[in-house]
Amino acid sequence: MIRILKLYKIFIVQHLKKLMEYRVDFLTGAGSFFITQITNIVFISIIFNQIPSLNGYLYNEIIFIYGFSLLPKGFDHLFTDNLWIVGWYVVRKGDFDRYLTRPISPLFHTIVETIQFDALGEIAMGLILVIYSSIKLALHFTFINIVLLIIAIIFGALIFTAIKIACAALAFWIKQSGSILQIFYCTSDFARYPITIYNKVIRGIITYIIPFAFTAYYPANYILRNGKPLYCIGGVVLMSIILLSLSLIIWHKGINAYESAGS
Amino acid sequence: MRRLCNTYKSFLKAGIQSGMAYRVNFICFFIGESLYCIVMYFIWKAVFMSSGNGNFMGFNMVDITLYVFLSNLVGFLTSTDSTSSLALEIKDGSIIMRMIKPVNLNLSLLAFELGDKVMVITCTFIPVMIGVEIYRYITLGYIAFNIINFLLFIISVIFSYLIAFYLNLLFGYLAFFLMNIWGFNMLKGSLIKFFSGAIIPIAFFPEKIRVVFEQLPFASLVYTPTMVYMGKYSNNELLFVFAKQIVWLIVFILICRMVWYLAQKRLSSQGG
Repeated sequence: MIRILKLYKIFIVQHLKKLMEYRVDFLTGAGSFFITQITNIVFISIIFNQIPSLNGYLYNEIIFIYGFSLLPKGFDHLFTDNLWIVGWYVVRKGDFDRYLTRPISPLFHTIVETIQFDALGEIAMGLILVIYSSIKLALHFTFINIVLLIIAIIFGALIFTAIKIACAALAFWIKQSGSILQIFYCTSDFARYPITIYNKVIRGIITYIIPFAFTAYYPANYILRNGKPLYCIGGVVLMSIILLSLSLIIWHKGINAYESAGS
Repeated sequence: MRRLCNTYKSFLKAGIQSGMAYRVNFICFFIGESLYCIVMYFIWKAVFMSSGNGNFMGFNMVDITLYVFLSNLVGFLTSTDSTSSLALEIKDGSIIMRMIKPVNLNLSLLAFELGDKVMVITCTFIPVMIGVEIYRYITLGYIAFNIINFLLFIISVIFSYLIAFYLNLLFGYLAFFLMNIWGFNMLKGSLIKFFSGAIIPIAFFPEKIRVVFEQLPFASLVYTPTMVYMGKYSNNELLFVFAKQIVWLIVFILICRMVWYLAQKRLSSQGG
């Protein structure tokens, strides 16, 4: 364990050096995520110019849920972005051999190889929205609230990571799984809004099958509607553990099935 | 003329082959876009439920559903890869292979892309159109399909695609100056989505902003064709929006030529 942390520190230092080298790149990347979110906020604002509340949720409550949804997504994006590369290119080109020859776990190596600082744009936007809407709604956070929300963010991020690992691992069988990963990742769009606006089928899918509702709606509901912490926060933890175990099984099966490409 | 056609036919063929090779990507991309439409549909449905009356700034629920699916279809049909294909060739230098051939660079890229799109068009355009009309028939109780609007829509989409192609080509030339094309591409994508009315109909913006947005080239990309199909324009307005599309297309073609002329000089200086 200590060895892994030491290794991770070395990787992070390298990434920071890279960040310093390509500052303009970082600014374009982070800026683009930031601005993309702003266009969506404008969309929500225009809707609320005409109506007082959406399915019983006030403007600032919607902003809170939206902002919160960016945090787990952003942290997962920050740390595990390299899984996309595995899904799109690494396996297909036979480059995965490289990871298998190292004396550390291939999954760990894959993940630490990139830290995607572009995600800071997403995280910053999420924090701004959550703080702004909390002030407007005059929310009072107790110490326990904050601890539970942080837990929800960490495990919510793991839900994203687990889905990415499982989808990326499919590439071991089918060579390229980036587009499948894309579909699963897209379903997280549903989680940015209160799930009560959807019909039962969609609600069921994003709660129990691809549980992105646990990355934003339920934790936010814990604060906004005094939702039961056991379900709203416990659910996040439980779902992420189940998904992560499943995805690790798929990943290891995948590595066993992996045949290097070409020559 | 015939020689010209023969020259670009090979690019078109190569495009078709490439489109067939990546069909799984296309299907997945299509599913992703559909999911986005479903999210939007439910948001609008909730908006109409919350607003109490069946009218939101001149749109009813049928209008907005039509708008969500059609605007995404138009966005999908007119989406173009010209930025990244050009940027990639500039970066790895393979653009030189195009330059030594006796073809127009922009046109050869266009021919390739049209070939690439043949499958996209047949696999999305027809089913979505039929779906939209079935939806309208079920909810309205009569056939709302209007052949004139449909034909005007097709013409408008073609203009919209060409504008999008040249606009994106312009961004592709930025590869001469920028490194993080990926981040930049995403920024460009979301801004175009916003200004073109793909996220929210331009009619919903406050009056002063709306007037400005309608004159920008982006409105010609998604908003104009969609509104044409929905029959929201009077005859005079139709003439005006088509004139705008043509003017913007000519402007972008001219700018692209100019930039290419300048970029060629820069490229040769790089080669030493």
